[in-house]
Amino acid sequence: MSGSLAFEHPWLLMLLPLALLPLLRRRRDTLAFPSTAWLPSDRIGRIIGWLWPLFAVLALASSIFALAQPGRPQTQVHRTGKGAEILVLLDRSRSMDDRMLPANWREIDPSLLLYHLGRGQQKAKVARELLSQFVARRPDDRFSLLYFSNRPLTVVPFTQHDPVMQAGIAAGAIGRGLADTDVGRALIAGIAQFDQRAYSGSRIMLLVSDGGANMDDEMMKRIRIGLARNRIALYWIYLRSYNSAMLDTTDPRWENAPEMALHRFFQTLKTPYRVYQAEDPESLSRAVADVERQQNLPLDFMEQIPRQDYSRVFVAIAAFSCAMLLAYRSMLLRSLP
Amino acid sequence: MSTSREFHYRLPRRSGGWRPGSHPGSSLGAGQEFVSHVSLYDRPDPRRLDLRASLREVRGDWLVRVNRQRVSVPVHLIADVSSSMSFGAPQSKLQVVADFVTALGHSTFRVGDALGMLAFDAQERRDLFVPALLSRGVGEVMASMLTGCKGTAGSSDGLEEAALHLAGRHGLIFLASDFHWPLDRLDVVLDLLAHSYIVPLVIWDPAEIQPPKRDGLIPLRDVESGRRSTLWLRPSVRTRWHEAIERRRAELNALFSAHGIRPFYVSGEFDNEALSQYFFEATA
Repeated sequence: MSGSLAFEHPWLLMLLPLALLPLLRRRRDTLAFPSTAWLPSDRIGRIIGWLWPLFAVLALASSIFALAQPGRPQTQVHRTGKGAEILVLLDRSRSMDDRMLPANWREIDPSLLLYHLGRGQQKAKVARELLSQFVARRPDDRFSLLYFSNRPLTVVPFTQHDPVMQAGIAAGAIGRGLADTDVGRALIAGIAQFDQRAYSGSRIMLLVSDGGANMDDEMMKRIRIGLARNRIALYWIYLRSYNSAMLDTTDPRWENAPEMALHRFFQTLKTPYRVYQAEDPESLSRAVADVERQQNLPLDFMEQIPRQDYSRVFVAIAAFSCAMLLAYRSMLLRSLP
Repeated sequence: MSTSREFHYRLPRRSGGWRPGSHPGSSLGAGQEFVSHVSLYDRPDPRRLDLRASLREVRGDWLVRVNRQRVSVPVHLIADVSSSMSFGAPQSKLQVVADFVTALGHSTFRVGDALGMLAFDAQERRDLFVPALLSRGVGEVMASMLTGCKGTAGSSDGLEEAALHLAGRHGLIFLASDFHWPLDRLDVVLDLLAHSYIVPLVIWDPAEIQPPKRDGLIPLRDVESGRRSTLWLRPSVRTRWHEAIERRRAELNALFSAHGIRPFYVSGEFDNEALSQYFFEATA
């Protein structure tokens, strides 16, 4: 942090001697009086008589300063954060509008399951709530938000400013889910977000999705290379729908499910990969808490602190002084009788 | 100014002098004021023989009436021409003095008095000196001299210097000033001029004795010292202003009344009627 002050137009400071003009005592400012000695002395009047040239000098000087545009120049600050760079890939497909099972769904009579399913919370809503809590709890991390359905939608680029991220998450509630789920393109777009960034610590791609996708070899290759190149750890929070595959099952029934295909592909990655399977809101929050515990490695980054302009302050001072001068002038009597 | 501005004045006390005029004199001569009867042999003036008194006279002397002669006195104006006198809203105080001296010129010529002028600011102003003259237009000359002059800060030293010329002389002296200088030496000056009848004209502009009616700030500059002071005019300051004026007036009154003199206050415009009234009251 440098407290240095730089002027945009320093040559304007040459006008500063003009600010001394009000100190020149002119006869025009005053009314001639034969003998002030016999008038009562007025302390308030005397103070005002001192103050107004002061305000005039202040008004001129601060106007000139404001014109010269003082400010702290743009600087880069080296910061070390504890957090990670987390890119959240949030599924925006229609299946996310489905509802989640209650927490005790395993004990419920399977014939009533559908009834309970109809009363659960929407997956997308739960995911959004948890994500926003997650973001709020991690002020040191930098987040980026990407929605995707059949194509990725960049919502928030990497930022450390929580309110932007929260607004981005809240924006997901608008409208209904979109048509399709194309995890491959979303992953490519997510990897591309990291492309131009200097590697500075942990990088996480948090895929929140309820479905998988079958991808061709080309796509898989690009994803694998991209993740490896940018050294990104992939966390998949799998929001399991009722009646869809458990990722750890060996049941040949699910052999061809897209979720299983995606999971198998992710397992072949050389970069870290972790999957959290969440069927109900509680297990989802457990999964998020788990991610939260995982990534707390130190993170170095340069933060650009934009040029800070102080001229507003000087304009305010000048305006205030001018207001005081106006008040003085309005109170002034122009002639004696 | 027209001749109608002239005023009436008579000295309330006798003054010496040989030139016949209209003021009560102390010398004997051709006048209306009876003094006594004197033997014709003591005063061989058969024109004033008083037959009735002579018949009543036991010793049988021829008696002659002796009267006092009315005299003319030299009238002098000691004018303050300090820079504070050039203050004044419609007309400056110096202009008021000029009006006064014009009227005085007419008045003195009418009653046959000689009129002279002395002026002072920080010192005596020799360039504005006019010896006592019996001349019709002398008042106008003095007025034009006064209106055209520029003065510095006034002081009682200048007044003292000017007053030395008139010290010990009989006559009538008008002392026209705003008395905006330290009054500690004024006592000495009045002592110097004790032989003359002094009429102090205290000339104040209405603007200086009457604070503006509107409240507000007045940045003031003393025309003599150049000192600045800002006044926030509000009711309390206005009352203190009036008090200050009253205090000054009382101070002047006390100083003059110690010498048996009543000052004549002029504010704004010279009022010849008021000055006539002043003299009527003094002679009554």
